[in-house]
Amino acid sequence: MDPAPAPYMIRINGHLGATLLSAFPALAPRHDGAHTVLTGMLDCSALYGVLAEIEALGLDLLEIQKLTPDRKSPEPGGRCSP
Amino acid sequence: MTIISAPAGSGKTSLLRAWAGRPGQAHRLALVQVQRDQRDAQQFWLALLDAIRHATGVNGGAELPAVTPDFNGHAMADRVLSELADAPGGVTLVIDDLHELRSPEAPSQLTQLLTSLPPHVHAILTTRHDVRLRLHRLRLAGELAEIRAADLRFSERETRELLDASGIALSAAGAALLHQRTEGWAAGLRLAALSLAGHPDAERFVAEFSGSDRTVAEYLIAEMLERQPPDVLDLLLPTSLLDRVNGELADLLTGRPGSERILLTLEDANAFVESLDPGRTWFRYHHLFADLLRLEVRRTLPAEIPALHRRAAGWFIRHGQVAEAIRHTQAAGDWLDAARLLADHSFSLTLDGQAQTMQALLRAFPRGEDHPELALVRAMGDLAQGRLDEAAAHLAVAETYAKTPPPGRQRRLRVAVAALKLSLARRRGHLAGVMEQARFLASPVTGPSDEDIALGSDLRAVALMNLGTAEAWSLGLPEAERHLREGAVLAREIGRPYLEVGCLAQLGFASIFHGAAMPKIDAFATTQRRCREAIALAERYGWGTEPVIAPALMTLAGTMVWLGEFDEGERWLRRTERALQTDTGPDIRLLLHQTAGMLHAGRGRHPEALQEFGAAEHLASQLEGSQALANQVTGWLIATQARLGRPGEARAVLAALDDGRASSGEIRNAVAVICLADGDPGGALGAVQSVLDGTAPVLGYVTVVEADLLAGLAHRALGDQRAASQAAERALALAESDRLVLPFAMTGSAALLEALPRHQAAHAALLADLLDVLHGSSPAAKEQSSLPPAEELSPGELRVLRYLPTNLSRPEIASELSVSLNTVSTHLRSVYAKLQVRDRSSAVQRARELRLLGARRTP
Repeated sequence: MDPAPAPYMIRINGHLGATLLSAFPALAPRHDGAHTVLTGMLDCSALYGVLAEIEALGLDLLEIQKLTPDRKSPEPGGRCSP
Repeated sequence: MTIISAPAGSGKTSLLRAWAGRPGQAHRLALVQVQRDQRDAQQFWLALLDAIRHATGVNGGAELPAVTPDFNGHAMADRVLSELADAPGGVTLVIDDLHELRSPEAPSQLTQLLTSLPPHVHAILTTRHDVRLRLHRLRLAGELAEIRAADLRFSERETRELLDASGIALSAAGAALLHQRTEGWAAGLRLAALSLAGHPDAERFVAEFSGSDRTVAEYLIAEMLERQPPDVLDLLLPTSLLDRVNGELADLLTGRPGSERILLTLEDANAFVESLDPGRTWFRYHHLFADLLRLEVRRTLPAEIPALHRRAAGWFIRHGQVAEAIRHTQAAGDWLDAARLLADHSFSLTLDGQAQTMQALLRAFPRGEDHPELALVRAMGDLAQGRLDEAAAHLAVAETYAKTPPPGRQRRLRVAVAALKLSLARRRGHLAGVMEQARFLASPVTGPSDEDIALGSDLRAVALMNLGTAEAWSLGLPEAERHLREGAVLAREIGRPYLEVGCLAQLGFASIFHGAAMPKIDAFATTQRRCREAIALAERYGWGTEPVIAPALMTLAGTMVWLGEFDEGERWLRRTERALQTDTGPDIRLLLHQTAGMLHAGRGRHPEALQEFGAAEHLASQLEGSQALANQVTGWLIATQARLGRPGEARAVLAALDDGRASSGEIRNAVAVICLADGDPGGALGAVQSVLDGTAPVLGYVTVVEADLLAGLAHRALGDQRAASQAAERALALAESDRLVLPFAMTGSAALLEALPRHQAAHAALLADLLDVLHGSSPAAKEQSSLPPAEELSPGELRVLRYLPTNLSRPEIASELSVSLNTVSTHLRSVYAKLQVRDRSSAVQRARELRLLGARRTP
C-alpha cells in the first residue's frame, strides 16, 4: 500500500499557463521569479504520476522536495519505496 | 549499438529519420515504433520480427508466428537473432520510444537480443528515460554509443541553419535570441519555425516570445494553434484524445467530413502529425504535442469529452479493437459498460495475447467502480500467474453474482465461470467434483445476436477444450475425445488456431490411455499419428515448442519410450522440456518426470529413474485429488526402490497407500517386484494373481503385460521353466500388436526371453527386436546414418523384412505369413535389391540403420 500522503514542493522552470497547470490539479501553483513552484499533498503513486506528467510534457524539472514541517526522526510510513 | 536517451521533444525520432534517409545508406533499416503504453511484449516482438523480415527479405514471404497466450519472449529473442544472423549484408535495427514498452518481462528479453547481436547488425534505441537493460558488457567492450539530451541540443549555428532551411528571414540577433530562449530544444525550434513561417513580423515574434516567462512548449503551441484555421483546430482538439487517428474516425469525432485531407496537409507541413503506414491512412500526433492538446481540450471543452470517448469506443468496438474500445469507455466514465466489455472479451483478449493489457485495463477501474463481473477477469489473471487460491476466491465472487445477474447475461457468465473452474481444478488435480457441474458446457450457446454468438464462440471453444482436457486427465474417455474433437472443429471455424492446436494436443494425450485390459489394434500408432498431426499444425503457427503443444510432444516421447525407441524418445522429451519452460503446472510436470523415469528405467539406469519417479511422486502429492496416473507413478517408484536393493523404503511407500490404491494392478505389480527382490517368488506370484485374473483395476493392458513378465520371472526363480515360458508367451502375445518393448526392459526380462525356444516362438519378429533392445543395440541406438535413402519397400516386402532378424527359415516365414515359399523368395530378392545388400545379415543391419524394422512403419 502507498504510504500516507506527504507535502511536496516541485519547482519547474518557466511559468506554467492554465493549460499546463490543468495537468496538476492536485497541486497549488505559484510563481517564484522565472520559476513555477507546485505544492501539495501526494502519496507515492500520485508523486510518480506527477513526475510522469512532467516528463511527458517535456517540462524542465529543477527541484523536488519533501517538506517536513518538524524534523522528528524517521516518519512512520514516510518512505516512497515498495 | 547506439542509445539515444533524451526527454520529450529533443528530436530523437527526427534525428533517426534524417539519419536513416541520408544518401549512401548501405545498411537495411528495420524500424519499430513501440506503441503507447505497450503492456504485452508479444505485439512488440511480432512487430520487430515483421520489420526485420521486410528489411532483410529473409523469410519475407513467411507468415509471422500467430499470437498466443503462452508467448515465450526468450524463445522469440532467439528466433529474431537467428533471422538476423541469416540476413545478407548489414542491418540497422531501430527501436523507437522504448520507454513505452511496459511489459515487465521485456527488458530481460531485449537484453538477451541486444547482447548477442551478430556483428553485421547495428541496433539503435530511442527512449525518454534510461531503461534497465543490462548492457555493461557492451559498454566495457566499447560497443555502446550514447547520445543524450546535451548532444541533441541545437547550437546557435545549427539554429540559424534550421531557420534558413525553413525559409525564415531573421536577423542574427533574432536567431541568437530564439536559440537562447529555447535553449536549443528541438521541439521548441520546430514550433517556432512553424509560427515564424509566413509571420508578418518575425523579429517582433521572437522578441515577445523571449520576453515571456511561460514555458517554451506552451507558449509556442498556443501561438501555433492561434494561427490555425478553425477546421484544423476543430480536428486537432477532439482527435488528440486518440492514440492514433484515421480520416473516418476523425470525421466521426468532428462530425464533419474531410478530415483525412487535413491530416495529410498537416503531415506535409511537418506540423507534428505523422502517418503510421505507407498508405498514409493512420496518423499519430507527436506525443508532446498530443499531450498539450489533450490538456487544452480538457480545459476548454470539458463537457464534450465523455461523448467524444463514447463515439471513439463505438468505432473501435465495431472494428474489433477491443482494448482501445474499453480504454475509451473508461475515459468516458462509463464504468459499468467498461466492466461488461472487459468481462465479455476477457477470453478473446487472452487468446489475442493481450493478457497484460487486460490486467492494466482492470487496474484502471477506480476503487468505487468495482463490479462483480470483473472478478472473472481477476481470476483469469490469477490463473495465468499461478495464484490458485486467489483465483478460487475471485471465481467464488463471480459465481455468486452469476446466480442473479441482469437479464441476458446468465448463460455467458455461467459458461465463463465453469470454463475457469475446470482450468483451476486441473491445475490443482482436483477434477472429480467439477466435472459434473461442467457437463452442461457441451451444449451449444444460443445468443440473441450474431455478435453474441461470435463472442460466445471463443468462450465455448475454450470451455470445450478445458472440459475435454479435464476429462482426459481424469480418464473420462470417450467424452474427452468427443469434446476435444468438437472444440477443435469449432476453433477451426472461428479462426482460433491456438484453441485448435490445444484441443488436438490434448487429444493426442487422451488417446494414449486405453482403459481396456486388452490392446486395441494399432493404438500406439494412432496416438503417434494424432500427436504428429497436432505438432505439425502447431509448427505451422510457430508454436512447435510452446506449452500449448507440450501434451502432444510428451505423449509422442512417451510412446517412443514404450516402443523401445529410447533415443528418439529422449529427443522428443528434451523438446517437451523446452516447451514447458514457461509453464509450471504440477500436472504436466508430473508427466514429464514420469516419462523421463520410464526412459531411464528402460535403459536400465535405475538410480536416475528413481530420482525422476520420486520427483513425479512429489508433484502428485501436491495435487489435491487422485490423479489418473498416480498408481503407475507410485508403483514404478516402489519397484525401482526394490530393484535398487532398498526394499525397506519401498515397503514404507507401500504402507502409506490406502486400500483402494494398494489393490490396483500397478501397485500389485510393485509388490511382486519387492517379493522378487526379497527372494520370495511365491509371494510375487500371489501379488500379481489379481492382475492376471482381471480382478484388479488397471490403467491399461500394459500393466497386465508387466504382471505376466513378473510372474514369468517368479516361475523361473522357482525353477518352473515351462510356466515361465508360458507367462513370457502371454506377455509377448499382448505386446505384439503395439510392439511394446518397455515392460520387458523395465522388468529385466532378457533371460526370460532368451530361454524361450526361438524357432517355435509365435512372436519371432517382436522377440528379435526385444532382444536387440535389451542387449543395448536398439534400432535407434545408431544415429540415423547419412546413407542414401533406400527405395520404398512394399507392404509385403516390409512384412517379410520383419522376420529377417529371427532364426526362422524361409519356409517357416512363409508359413508364419500364410503365403507361399515362392512369394517369400520373390520379396526377399526385391528387398535385397532395394537395400543394396547381398545377404540376410547385411539386410538386417541396413534395415536397422534405416529404421525399417518397427511394426509402426508397416502400413
